[in-house]
Amino acid sequence: MPVNSQLQAQQHRLDPEADPEKIVGALSDRFNLAAEHERILDSVYFDSFDWRLYLAGGLLHEEREAGARRLVWTPMDEAAPPVTYPLPGEVPRFAWDLPPSPLRARIAPLLEMRALLPQAQVRVSRRTFRVLDDEEKTVLRLLFESSEARPPMGGETQALDNRLRLLPVRGYPEPLAQVQKALAQLQLKAPEQNPLAEALTALGRKPVEYSSKLNFSFDPNTRADQAAKAIHLHLLNTIEVNIAGTKADLDSEFLHDLRVAVRRTRSALTQVKGVFEDAVVQRYKEGFGWVGQVTGPTRDMHVYLLEFEDYRKALPERFRADLDPLHRFLEEHQKSAHRQLVKDLNSPHFRTLLKTWRQFLESPPPKRPQAPKAALPIVEVAGQRIWRSYKKVMQDGSSLTPDSPAERLHELRKDCKKLRYLIEFFSSLYTEAKIKPLIKSLKRLLDALGSFQDLEVQADKLRDLAHQMADEGKVPADTLLAMGMLVDGLLRRQQAARGEFDARFADFSESKNRRLFKTLFSPAARSDENPGHL
Amino acid sequence: MKILGIYNIKGGVGKTAAAVNLAYLAACEGYRTLVWDLDPQAAATYYFRIKPNVKGGSKKLIKGKTEADEHIKGTDYENLDLLPADFSYRNMDLTLGDAKKPAQQLIKLLRPLSYAYDLLVLDCPPSISLVSENVFRAADGLVVPTIPTTLSVRTYEQLKDFFQKHDLAGLNLMPFFSMVDRRKNMHQKVMQELPERFPETLDAAIPYASDVERMGIYRTPLNAYDAHAPAALAYERLWAEIKARTGI
Ligand SMILES: Nc1ncnc2c1ncn2[C@@H]1O[C@H](COP(=O)(O)OP(=O)(O)O)[C@@H](O)[C@H]1O
Ligand SMILES: [Mg+2]
Repeated sequence: MPVNSQLQAQQHRLDPEADPEKIVGALSDRFNLAAEHERILDSVYFDSFDWRLYLAGGLLHEEREAGARRLVWTPMDEAAPPVTYPLPGEVPRFAWDLPPSPLRARIAPLLEMRALLPQAQVRVSRRTFRVLDDEEKTVLRLLFESSEARPPMGGETQALDNRLRLLPVRGYPEPLAQVQKALAQLQLKAPEQNPLAEALTALGRKPVEYSSKLNFSFDPNTRADQAAKAIHLHLLNTIEVNIAGTKADLDSEFLHDLRVAVRRTRSALTQVKGVFEDAVVQRYKEGFGWVGQVTGPTRDMHVYLLEFEDYRKALPERFRADLDPLHRFLEEHQKSAHRQLVKDLNSPHFRTLLKTWRQFLESPPPKRPQAPKAALPIVEVAGQRIWRSYKKVMQDGSSLTPDSPAERLHELRKDCKKLRYLIEFFSSLYTEAKIKPLIKSLKRLLDALGSFQDLEVQADKLRDLAHQMADEGKVPADTLLAMGMLVDGLLRRQQAARGEFDARFADFSESKNRRLFKTLFSPAARSDENPGHL
Repeated sequence: MKILGIYNIKGGVGKTAAAVNLAYLAACEGYRTLVWDLDPQAAATYYFRIKPNVKGGSKKLIKGKTEADEHIKGTDYENLDLLPADFSYRNMDLTLGDAKKPAQQLIKLLRPLSYAYDLLVLDCPPSISLVSENVFRAADGLVVPTIPTTLSVRTYEQLKDFFQKHDLAGLNLMPFFSMVDRRKNMHQKVMQELPERFPETLDAAIPYASDVERMGIYRTPLNAYDAHAPAALAYERLWAEIKARTGI
């Protein structure tokens, strides 16, 4: 829309020696300019570790000036002006700790449980000139800015390009066009990056450095052991970058991502069979199994604390306060579980595990491998494994009846997870349009299985917690009763999830998907003449 | 987007002063705020130093030939925009009367703005008309500046009557005292009585103050040029109460 494109802040790079006075002088014959005093703005850009705000198309920075603090949300592409919010105190760690405000409404759903972390500091010296119309109304702002960037926790500053920004006022396109025309003669260059990206680049970083998502792209003829190592290396990197945030307990997602990477590692070890020697598989399967175990208790507590608000709301109003002792109990136990977790993550055992694993992964693959499938093309191994795994899911899933015990569904969930990981590892070997709907349908099946099992696990665990609280003494009877109500509610919901599973499995096993699996992964498909892109 | 109507059947009671200052306070708190100056006299538009001009007038706007979006002007303040008044608004009633669902035209027109703004403040012309009925139907709350006189009380009663009869009894009414002169006995008396009869009356009251009048000279919201003036503080209390009442 033409109206909106006027809104985009116009920016120009200025040479360091370019003189704002001169530029303003050149403009002041033709425009009524009002100078404001120079302002020094100290900014800290915030985002989550996985860059949720940036990926959603916005920049969030705290701006401090003479004791006042503001939070500024700047949409990047959307042709909308920045929005400013006064901030009563420090930027809180979580969006839900912001006072109720339009800003919170906007960023809380993006950030969810992720912490706001400082990403870069930028100090801006800004001289503003306002272009006025004949009513003395501001119709355009010229901002001359010189800035320097610093790492979020302090450190050496890096000078950034000087900028001249034109901040249009909505509904006044003419002054903007006129000033732009006048500036065109000065041949200024447009900056290549948004301010945060520019600051990060100057600091030797870049935005969106981290994602927990898998994104491999394999040549189908890559040796299987080499492809497997690439997968494992990526997962190991994910584990490692999440350690610091896990130890500091910045938010629950560090540990979660770490655990998912560990699970995927174990799944890849056992599911991509025959590419490494048995001894290697055995050793690291056990090693990462241990990591899964020692990280479990903290994760459990995180889950209850994240769910707690829902627990509370599930109870009738007058019983809600009865859950407060449970909350305190969870918080205390989360802390002690976390203390133990930090010990485990600092242990020589853990460090050696990661170190030797990395050494193994970074060593060149053996010329004449012992493992039977190490030297096969990855497309071959991937197809075999996915096909096997898929057949198991279909067999087990189809044999389930409404009376089947819950354990059978839990087993099926494990198999589905293995299948999902395999497909995700190797999706680049297959046509995206074909593989995507399969992953989607599998994910939905997994969600149904997941809630079925999680609800049961939560119910069981709540009962355990009730016993534990009783054993530790001093728990009010009302709290135990309220927890009983919760358990009851969870089990009811689990029943409902059982029905959901039937529907999802029916979708997953519909003939279209069966055909797709067959054409992509069956032995017949693999022995086709064209093994390349399927 | 929440919609606040600033309304009274009578003119000169402080509607525009309230609309401008409340909108300014909301914008300062980070609400992306739009003021629509519905009064062809264009006082709010004047305060923001904007020319009262909507190309094509209310006719094209209501008929959907132009979009509200196209006419919006940025004010001198962050997060605060204005949809200006236009001389043609004096005929808005007739144009609305020609439309299919005359009482719901404003809602329709405002819908596209609902993602761009958190708050819309409607500065209404005096009198009961199709325009005001549209405002009543669109608004999440109706702020009613009331000078504490016996006559004003009667006007407020009439207004409530009208709402009863027109299926608008659910409207969130927020009368508040405006241009209060505490030296006047009548003001004191009415300020005692009205809240007893109408418990929806807000606690915050705006004193009669020359600071408010000077807005016309400075062409600036009072809270922008003297945030500590007693009247400015009163507008702040008023805004806080309205927020609490409407869940804005
Ligand atoms: N609290 C107040 N104290 C003194 N003068 C006021 C006050 N509120 C409004 N005024 C003045 O009274 C006149 C009418 O106010 P206005 O807000 O335009 O009323 P309305 O919009 O209801 O017609 C204006 O000149 C305004 O400056
Ligand atoms: Mg008015």
